[in-house]
Amino acid sequence: MALALTAGACFAQHQDYHETFAAANQFYADKDYARAIEAYREVIARGVESAELYYNLGNASFKHGDLGHAIANYLKARRLAPDNEDIRHNLEFARRFTAVQMQGVRLNPIETFLESIVGPYTLGQLAWLSSLFFVLLVLALIMRWGLGTGGASVGAVAIALVVLVAVSSTLTTYKYRHEYLRQRAVIIAEQSPVFTGPSQKSEIELQGSPGLVVEILAEKDGFYNVQFENQRRGWIDKELVAEV
Amino acid sequence: MSIRCCLTSLPAALAIAVVALILLILLAAPPATFAAQEDIRLEVSLDRDTIGIAEQAYLQVKVTGTIQNLPDPHLPSLPMFQLYQQGRSMSFQSVNGVMSSSVTHRFALVPSRAGTFPIDDISVVYNNKRYRGNRVELTVVDRSTAAPEEVELQARDNTGQSKDYFLEAVVDNGTPYVNEQITFTLKFYIAVQHFGSPELTEPATTGFWTEVLGNESPYYQTINGRRYKVIERKYALYPTQTGELTIGRALIRVTVASRQSRSRDPFDAFGGFFGRGETVSVSSKPLKVNVQPLPNAGRPADFSGTIGRYSITATADKTEVEVNQPVTVKIEIRGVGNIKAIAEPTIPDLPDFRIYQASVDESINRVKDKLGGTRTFEEVFIPRRPGLLEIPSIEYTYFDPEESRYRRISTKPITINVTRPEGYVESSEIPYGSPGQTLGSDARDIRYIAQDIGDVKPSGQLVLFTPLYLIVNGLPLVVLVGLVIIRRRREKLAADTGLARSRGATRVARKHLARARSLTSPGKAVEFYAEIYRAVTSYIADKLNISPHGLTTTRIAELLAERGADQQTIDQTNDLLNTCDFARFAPASVTDDDIGKSLKAAEMLITRMEGLRFD
Repeated sequence: MALALTAGACFAQHQDYHETFAAANQFYADKDYARAIEAYREVIARGVESAELYYNLGNASFKHGDLGHAIANYLKARRLAPDNEDIRHNLEFARRFTAVQMQGVRLNPIETFLESIVGPYTLGQLAWLSSLFFVLLVLALIMRWGLGTGGASVGAVAIALVVLVAVSSTLTTYKYRHEYLRQRAVIIAEQSPVFTGPSQKSEIELQGSPGLVVEILAEKDGFYNVQFENQRRGWIDKELVAEV
Repeated sequence: MSIRCCLTSLPAALAIAVVALILLILLAAPPATFAAQEDIRLEVSLDRDTIGIAEQAYLQVKVTGTIQNLPDPHLPSLPMFQLYQQGRSMSFQSVNGVMSSSVTHRFALVPSRAGTFPIDDISVVYNNKRYRGNRVELTVVDRSTAAPEEVELQARDNTGQSKDYFLEAVVDNGTPYVNEQITFTLKFYIAVQHFGSPELTEPATTGFWTEVLGNESPYYQTINGRRYKVIERKYALYPTQTGELTIGRALIRVTVASRQSRSRDPFDAFGGFFGRGETVSVSSKPLKVNVQPLPNAGRPADFSGTIGRYSITATADKTEVEVNQPVTVKIEIRGVGNIKAIAEPTIPDLPDFRIYQASVDESINRVKDKLGGTRTFEEVFIPRRPGLLEIPSIEYTYFDPEESRYRRISTKPITINVTRPEGYVESSEIPYGSPGQTLGSDARDIRYIAQDIGDVKPSGQLVLFTPLYLIVNGLPLVVLVGLVIIRRRREKLAADTGLARSRGATRVARKHLARARSLTSPGKAVEFYAEIYRAVTSYIADKLNISPHGLTTTRIAELLAERGADQQTIDQTNDLLNTCDFARFAPASVTDDDIGKSLKAAEMLITRMEGLRFD
């Protein structure tokens, strides 16, 4: 059934997701959050995404009392639109409701610095910026090497552009690695023990709580090896987290 | 004069007045603060509270204060002791920038009779104020007669001789309850001189939770008429299981002055000095402890499992908060017992609060031989609704082993006034709350959903890998590479044509010369010289790989000079070309002889230049 739905969705015309989206919004307005969630998920199942879609799904999940999914969807939304004030606000608001506050979170100064630069931009924006510098650099090289025109000034511009390309592509790579290659997940289950090993029989390292964001380091036997923001590590059942 | 000057300039006078005032305040301030914080404390302590009549106790009086010269303490008259001043020591310390000093006076007390004597009323007088110290008590026992029988028995060996040394182990209570503290004491008696400190192998205390209380300062005791030095070491043991438990043997190794060597050794006087002697070891007898289970009779249903004697208090850090703001409640259980084993009190389910355990902390101290202290549980209470909310009395049960009964203690209820923050709305929609987080007035709820789906993309698509991105970045690169390749090829080709021209130059020149030779009749002088001219210029142009058009005589000379030709070649070329020019404009003056010379000169020039390399 689900397979048929997904398969059908793939081939379905993309225009009717607007209707589903509007219907979901209506469910939300009517405070029928469960059906709103279902409808938003249906749109996502059609293979499309947008910051607003994840944002609304996050809101519906939050109102439905599902803090884990709310935060996971806000994170997805923020990745697509980092400068959206509403998303930022609701994510921050939702994160206050995690029952366990992480203690001893240490921030890497380099990461903090890079994050402060790339934070408000999407990967696409950074990629296009690098692309712009790169194309300008190539044009300068075309002038100098390809056509043999242009003197020292073109050379200076080319050197400046090399620096710009290096900086912007570093930032783009950082963004890509940080937000796309690094697998993150949010704990969704109320009871979420984190074990010392990938088995229910291992000792409990700590108790997770819905809304906590973890980084996935490895996967084994249906468990994820996760690292919390305060560097504590453990293994958690895959079913208890939602991937971002 | 200067006074008048100051008076006349009012601002200057004001400034001086202000400076003077500030200086006055600054100067006045330190004595004021010192005076305010002047605080003299007296701590009186004894090294031991029980001594034998032949022993002495040390009394310490520590005077601490923030003033410079601490006064000496006045001691009351103590008729039953002889008092010897043993000196004083001074120390300074700075706490939060406040310097304080302390002087410790030491006195030796030698008792004259047995009994329990209070030492009271030790005081200092400072600024007409009397500061009193705490009261201590010293018990003097007549141990010379009061040594317990079993000790006297132990002090004799099988032949009835008194031993030089022996090790005794005692517990204060042979039938404790499980988890009740017993004090285990090792006493090492030695009546002969020993070198170095005795070396102890600790006894095995399986089945106990052990805390070492430490060594007592040595004292002397007379047993069977012999004076022994006694070194005591004490342990607090908490049995963790019921039934018969055994405290194993303790072993002491010590080097004592040997009797045999003492009499024979001619260097007898140095024997002790050099530490000669024999190493001996002595062990204690194992001890049996019969641990009783806690009685079932009267055991409350909510018994915490804690043993000892305790009191409980609960204090809130504030009693007035807004909804969803945390209140930290500190529950302190203090008393005598195994502090680390105190169980957490159960807090009843309170619908008006969310409760989180924040921290557990303990401080342990020792009263005589019993360990005690405080275990502090911090709980965070977050009120869910406004109003006067009550944290009810928290009950706690423990077992008192001294009275062999269960006891119930409880905290006082705490009333918290929970106020309604500005803009507060009754809402059951917010499903969670959290400790330590302030919900600002703009953050009562999440913001509303977006009405428009926005910029929709196929999910999981990354710009980095779209064809458009690859084309935009790749195409200019392809163009660049293409152009560079084309340019390289063209340059190589250009270099090749130059080489070809240079190689073909002689051939072309000779062709022109052959044609010139066929024009040697004076009537054709113009054509002849034109041909010679062409032969030379085209040869040079080919050789230098430049265009032959528009080359003048002077330009050729310049070019040859530039490309490194020698002066003779340049001169010859110049002469020949000038002759050609002259002949072409005045053909009538040309003779056969001239034509022959010029032909020869041209042939020579080309032959000469053949051997030249132009860069």
